[in-house]
Amino acid sequence: MEYDYYILFNTHTNGLMLANKLKENNIKYTIVPTPRQLSKCCGIAITYALKDEKAILDIIDKSAIKVSGLHSLERKNIDIKFI
Amino acid sequence: MADYRELWQKLGMDLEKHDVLCEVLPQLYGGVYLSQENRPEGMNYYNFVVSEVHGLRIKELDDHKQQGGKVVGTFCIFVPDELILAAGAIGVGLCAGSQFWIEDGERVLPRNICPLVKAFTGAKLSGTCPYFQSCDMIIGETTCDAKKKAWEILDEYVDTYVMDLPQMKREKDYKKWAEEIYDLKDKLEKLTGNTITEEKLHEAIKLCNRKRKALQRLYNARKALNVPISGKDALLISQIAFYDNPERFIEMTNKLCDELEERIEKGISINKKGDKRILISGTPMAVPNWKIHHIVETSGAVVVAEETCTGTRYFENLVDETPTTMDGMINALADRYLKINCACFTPNKGREEDIIRLAKEYRADGVIYNSLQFCHTYNIEYAKVEKALKEAGIPVIFIESDYSNDDIGQIQTRVEAFLEMIGQ
Repeated sequence: MEYDYYILFNTHTNGLMLANKLKENNIKYTIVPTPRQLSKCCGIAITYALKDEKAILDIIDKSAIKVSGLHSLERKNIDIKFI
Repeated sequence: MADYRELWQKLGMDLEKHDVLCEVLPQLYGGVYLSQENRPEGMNYYNFVVSEVHGLRIKELDDHKQQGGKVVGTFCIFVPDELILAAGAIGVGLCAGSQFWIEDGERVLPRNICPLVKAFTGAKLSGTCPYFQSCDMIIGETTCDAKKKAWEILDEYVDTYVMDLPQMKREKDYKKWAEEIYDLKDKLEKLTGNTITEEKLHEAIKLCNRKRKALQRLYNARKALNVPISGKDALLISQIAFYDNPERFIEMTNKLCDELEERIEKGISINKKGDKRILISGTPMAVPNWKIHHIVETSGAVVVAEETCTGTRYFENLVDETPTTMDGMINALADRYLKINCACFTPNKGREEDIIRLAKEYRADGVIYNSLQFCHTYNIEYAKVEKALKEAGIPVIFIESDYSNDDIGQIQTRVEAFLEMIGQ
């Protein structure tokens, strides 16, 4: 089974701050809409590779950036349906 | 996670219905956009905008309104953004690219009209688009019969002002359009309580030109043989240009273009050797209408340009910045906007020439002529365009579609056959 890894935030400002830090540290990340399985509110999340998790946690610890949790979701192939 | 529900409630939205939209959008975006390989890093900004599409920007509009500012909605690239900005208002291009709003649109409109008109009407009636809900006034225009009559219905729900766009390009039509722009100036001044001064209008002209130049730079990057960005991503950027903060959009798009130009130099590409290069021509694609691009780019081709209102028609030709008097600037606006070759004009030879020129500039292997269902002007104009393209030796296919999923398989088959044919 494959998983995707997400960092959630309580404000987009914290998300953008962390994105900048990850960029400075050459850690690959992608800003994505928060999956509904993880939160009912719209907004940004960040996906990352599991191998970078420790380094990311270190960056978060050493900064004033607040995250509302790290999560993983099983990757599923879903048929694309336009809305 | 920021909670915007209070804000949405204040805007009179149907939260329960809106929640259905919120639920499906991340999944659709994930499938269409995030599944792409080798995307430029700069796309993170646009991922951010989409993630906050009904959040941060709506909060910015609300903050502006709290300070006494006005928000004005538009639906067409003939409406000059410059005047809205010069009046101190914020302009937002209103989305109408979703099947989600069709049912509500059909409550007051006939079924056999174009999905874009049904969708924007349904978006207002259903109270599920926070951009629409934020608008103090909307500016319609007379680019088609369906829109003309829909404005009368929408006016019952939101203050609707209509610009009368001439449908020919004679000298007197330019004069008439300049008069219409003057009338809009008066209307916006009344709405906002702000005077549109020569200085403010000149600043706004320069700002909108900078936005056009950023988009021109983005499109220029797509002319490279090793295409540095997918058509889907470029389409998304164009769509976002209609509602994002203009200064921020220009800054982030120029940053992305730095990266794209670096990619071209380094030979980094999103396409594989042998992928066909496609020019899409036709009707606008409003958020979240990514259907044709997705089909094309999952069939072994790359979309290199769009001759559409959400493509080159939006940013080609700058407004002349030389005039500084009110008359001079209004005439410069009229001149620039009437250069747009929309199918609502007769005759419209300029559009045939545009498509041939763009096909050559972007080194397209073929053209997909895409028209929304029941869009008479674009549907009818295909005959002329097809003839002109055939004479120029450019392969073309006609696809008429709406926002539903019903015809995806059928379109995919036709696109694949077309790509195979142009490969021979």
